[in-house]
Amino acid sequence: MAAVLPADAPVRQVQLSALVVMRLIKHSTQIFPTPATGCLVGMEQPKTATLEITNSFPFPASNPDNTASVTTSNPMDPYHQADQLALALAAPRAKGSVSYQNEMIKYLREVNVDAQGVGWYVSCSMGNFVNAAFVENQVFYQRATGEQSCVLVFDVGRSSQGSLNLKAYRLSKSFMEAHKEGKFTSESIQKSSLRYQDILIELPLKIHNSHLLTSYLHQLPNIPTTTDSLTLPTTIAEIHRNPSLASNPLTPNLDNLDLSIDPFLEKTLDQLLESIESHQTEQNNAQYYQRSLAREQAKVKTWKEKRASENVLRVQQKQTPLPEDEWTKLFKLPTEPSRLEAMLVGRQVEQYARQIDGFAGTVTGKMFGVRGGLVPGEGL
Amino acid sequence: MADDDSFLHLARPLNPATIASQPSTAPLTVTIQPQALFSILDHASRKPQDQDRVIGTLLGVRSEDGTEVEVRNCYAVPHTETTEQVEVDMDYQKHMLQLHLRANPKEILVGWYATSSELNTFSALIQNFYSQQGDGTWPHPAVHLTLSTVPGKDIESRTYISAPIGVTPERAADSCLFIPVPHEIKYGEAEKSGLEVIAGAKDREDRSQMLQVDVESLERAIEQVLELLNRVSNYVNEVLDEEAEPSSALGQFLMNTLSLAPKVEPADVERDFNNHVQDVLLVSYLANTIRTQIDLSNRLATAALTMGGEGAPSTAGTGDGQKGNQNQRRTAGRGQNRSGDQ
Repeated sequence: MAAVLPADAPVRQVQLSALVVMRLIKHSTQIFPTPATGCLVGMEQPKTATLEITNSFPFPASNPDNTASVTTSNPMDPYHQADQLALALAAPRAKGSVSYQNEMIKYLREVNVDAQGVGWYVSCSMGNFVNAAFVENQVFYQRATGEQSCVLVFDVGRSSQGSLNLKAYRLSKSFMEAHKEGKFTSESIQKSSLRYQDILIELPLKIHNSHLLTSYLHQLPNIPTTTDSLTLPTTIAEIHRNPSLASNPLTPNLDNLDLSIDPFLEKTLDQLLESIESHQTEQNNAQYYQRSLAREQAKVKTWKEKRASENVLRVQQKQTPLPEDEWTKLFKLPTEPSRLEAMLVGRQVEQYARQIDGFAGTVTGKMFGVRGGLVPGEGL
Repeated sequence: MADDDSFLHLARPLNPATIASQPSTAPLTVTIQPQALFSILDHASRKPQDQDRVIGTLLGVRSEDGTEVEVRNCYAVPHTETTEQVEVDMDYQKHMLQLHLRANPKEILVGWYATSSELNTFSALIQNFYSQQGDGTWPHPAVHLTLSTVPGKDIESRTYISAPIGVTPERAADSCLFIPVPHEIKYGEAEKSGLEVIAGAKDREDRSQMLQVDVESLERAIEQVLELLNRVSNYVNEVLDEEAEPSSALGQFLMNTLSLAPKVEPADVERDFNNHVQDVLLVSYLANTIRTQIDLSNRLATAALTMGGEGAPSTAGTGDGQKGNQNQRRTAGRGQNRSGDQ
């Protein structure tokens, strides 16, 4: 479970305007599968401890000054994909983006849009958003704007299956403090007793419409109610062609009754395998560090013994003993690799596990329903 | 429903064209994406008190031959309007356009919008400004979208393109013939899920809606299907009892739909069902196992420090290693100084 929000946190809920939701969806689905990043603006309501987000704009992902790369980079090159991905993920904290954001906010202020940056958003697919770049970006924003910033994560893959999948997160205080110290070694983690579950706190989300938008929504054609008088169609083709039935935006969205299990399972398993691989890499690094440390320690020990025996000889010969701690200059002990990546892998796997549990719940319900419908007489 | 004027749009007006290009007179259609519309509504709700309407720029894509214009994005432009004159902040417009182009190079200037239905001289002036050479949409016509935002009445949207009109060339500069063009608001597949949540809030008092968990939305979808099925079966029963009008088209349609239900052997269904349930539960179990495994390995890695006796060499090594690093950094500094002196 994600860590629980402390009761005295200044922001306990996030309220989105419908505009932000639509812009997020459009931007994310447009450049899928590259993750879409952008900035959120809004304001904080201290009375209700709510963070209101009223508008958003995307960050330019590519570096506008680097025109040389446009000609030399080849879209078919797999490294190009990785570069684009890295650029897109680093966009929120890149210098160019910060100046872009400041300019945009300045201009938006002139047309009465709330001129306070309150966070950033990112899109992901099937929950694979927990990585180092994500954490860095959020640290950057939380440091800049304090308690008021959050990150919205929009899951494109799962939203296309039915219900909108949008979550708001912020980093917990304990994690921020640990990050400030800069190192994530075994010792420091031990001291702060930071677990991977404590990294992210989830905030409840609410969608809020303006009056104008509500009146517009009421104006859109609705499915005919029982009280409407119907003109019955005369041909089947007329049923198909009826615009208020064919392309009505407010018809109930029944995509989440779809029973396609395998693609979801396949993608989740792929991502689990990737997480296991990165976990394995981290393990190897840690073990390599342990082994080299042990080797260095052994060398230091032998040198110390040699030096001690030399000193005994020199004392006997009435010479000044050599210093014992020169080994610090002669032997360089390896530095311990940061354990942050390992913790993030743990958090990511937890995210997948939770998704799959939710999925299992809904899918088993649907499957029992389908079976009950197809196999007559089953008294379930 | 909003009042839609009926009109017929057959051809675009012939603009004074350059010598080389052939102006096309094919009719134009405009499609608007919902997020642009929501953005305009949001802007309209933020307008300053003393102004009747607000304007802004429309961004989007235009098809190759200019007949299809899709409005994808928009931003507001501050302007002031009095009875005698109108001022539009052109620098702002240019600058915002640059900023937006940086983020989305494909979405170019296609027109402008205003939040009131009336078309007056000022609209003509602004329209000419947007259609001009250089910064405007020349040689393509600029699309003008008006959205009436009178509270209490329906919101009407209309789109126009313009043709120059005037008794003299000077009068033509500030007059415009607005030609209505057909437009459509297209709701894409991806936006359906978002729209569902947004529309769910429209019937509630406080106009807000919490985002729901998957299971809850599944429950709601099933309830909706059940309601629809109930209505249809009631209608069929009424027709059988001769209480309602029969319609052979509806009957045929229903029969076609019902015949889509697959005819399968119960044994096959059981087998597939069991396989699927097993797959899902297996993956769920696997994911949870991996999570526990990784959790365990992380804890073991960091817990080795707390146990005093076990793993002593590595813990002592780590402890010494830390101190050694710090000492080494200090002595390295001194060592460098010493070598500098030599």
